[in-house]
Amino acid sequence: MSKEKISSQEIIDLVSSKSLVSKRVAEEFLKVMISSVEEALLSGDLVKIKNLGTFKLQWNEPRKSVNVQTGEEILLSGYHKVTFTPDAVLRDAVNEPFAHLSPVELESENPAPIPESADVDLDPLRIFTDQAAEIKDLISEIQALSPKAKSKSVPKQEMPPVESYDLEEIVVDEALEAPEVQVEVSVEPQKTILHEDVFESVNEKIIVEKPFELVVPNEIENKDVESEVSGLAVNPVPEFESTPFLKDIEPRKRQKVWVWLLSVVLVFVFCSLGLYFFCPPVTRFADDCKASVTSTAESFSFTETLNSISSWFAPIPKPVPVVKTIVIPKDTVDNDTVVIEKKAAVDSLQLLFDNPRIYKRFIATETVEAGNRLTLMAKKYYGNKDFWVYIYEANKSKIPNPDRIAQGTLIRIPKLDSRLIDANNPRCIKKARELHDIYVNN
Amino acid sequence: MNHKELIASMAIKLNAPKSVVADLLDVTVATCTELLVDEKTIGFQSFGNFEVRKKEERLSVHPSTQIRTLVPPKLVVTFKQSNILKDKLKDLPHNE
Repeated sequence: MSKEKISSQEIIDLVSSKSLVSKRVAEEFLKVMISSVEEALLSGDLVKIKNLGTFKLQWNEPRKSVNVQTGEEILLSGYHKVTFTPDAVLRDAVNEPFAHLSPVELESENPAPIPESADVDLDPLRIFTDQAAEIKDLISEIQALSPKAKSKSVPKQEMPPVESYDLEEIVVDEALEAPEVQVEVSVEPQKTILHEDVFESVNEKIIVEKPFELVVPNEIENKDVESEVSGLAVNPVPEFESTPFLKDIEPRKRQKVWVWLLSVVLVFVFCSLGLYFFCPPVTRFADDCKASVTSTAESFSFTETLNSISSWFAPIPKPVPVVKTIVIPKDTVDNDTVVIEKKAAVDSLQLLFDNPRIYKRFIATETVEAGNRLTLMAKKYYGNKDFWVYIYEANKSKIPNPDRIAQGTLIRIPKLDSRLIDANNPRCIKKARELHDIYVNN
Repeated sequence: MNHKELIASMAIKLNAPKSVVADLLDVTVATCTELLVDEKTIGFQSFGNFEVRKKEERLSVHPSTQIRTLVPPKLVVTFKQSNILKDKLKDLPHNE
């Protein structure tokens, strides 16, 4: 970021070079532009320039102030000020380096990443923001801990390393002036959660009415320098350093319980998801739910529910570690198994699609077991999952519902015309999908 | 005053067609924008300066919901009027 000001003369030069006008013309133009804007402003009007922004007059009320030298009251007269509001185009163009950032609510688990800026070293408030970031991390860590605020050890570990550079300064001061410490400690009436345990243990040592004022100097006297740091770190210093921030934890305690409930719910959801994929009874239940949800009012019938409920309770054959029994029939012939009713000479593929298919020849049989699906079989034998519809058609008698096939069902994989199940032909896939829609939505 | 009105008034003063004036204005605005994007400061004599300033990121608390938000840092364009302009404005009457 250069601190040099670009003069209007430079602007004139740039404009004249870009727009191919002479410099005199450009100069006059700029002068006229500025004077027009000024005139408009002086007459109380606002000036709006496209892609640049709006110039407006702002009236500031007269206000009381003090003469800094004499200390007497002064009345500052009201005045007009020219304000400029950049246009969206200009705003976005200038903010390009930070355009990827957006505001983040602090209650979320992931704090917004602090961006790398080119002029990081020049930022005067960088140290403050870094501190703020560290403190934010601390707070989120502390919140993530067990709800029992009795864990003393963690706060001890968390606080001192971060605050160490400030602690040392404070320790020096406190060691020298114990009474000051007392005053500061007693000034803090609000005790945050983290310090409950500390105070309790401290209270045990109470002999006199005001515990803190005495305990702190005791600790200073009794312990050596290093423990002084840690002792002080735990007891009074966190109050100074982080009370403004830790005060925020109090309202958050209420939300802690809420966060825990949410995490429990999430765990439950994940478990059920896992079960869904690995357990057939749960799969069937899920499918039942799906079916019941998707079924319309017309198609809903009492008997259907009875059927679904009874099938749900039907005894499931124990999952035998069965090896896929692939029986290759001896009578495999290289004939078309699909019977085509001959009509006038049309696109043969379309004929295949349209005419009802009768499956006579089978290339294999498969036993349905846990986790196996028609789609997987189709993928294996035909090279595309979408062609399961043909397997379904061939075994319609055995499969009442394509979504749900009883374990142990013997499925015969039909031999299909290779044109019908060409995985590369989009028409085949489209047809298969149409059939899929019909069967699934039936 | 509109963009259009500004062009109209300038065209009258310059005795030039509006299209030319409009074109020149666009070029001027574009050059200014480019310079500002480069984080340069532009100064117009007796009018004021356009400067690009960085706003640090900050914690803001919504007053009613108490939701704390981290507002990211950003670069903004600011305008500071010159003293000559300020003096001219002092003479303005204010009706209120």
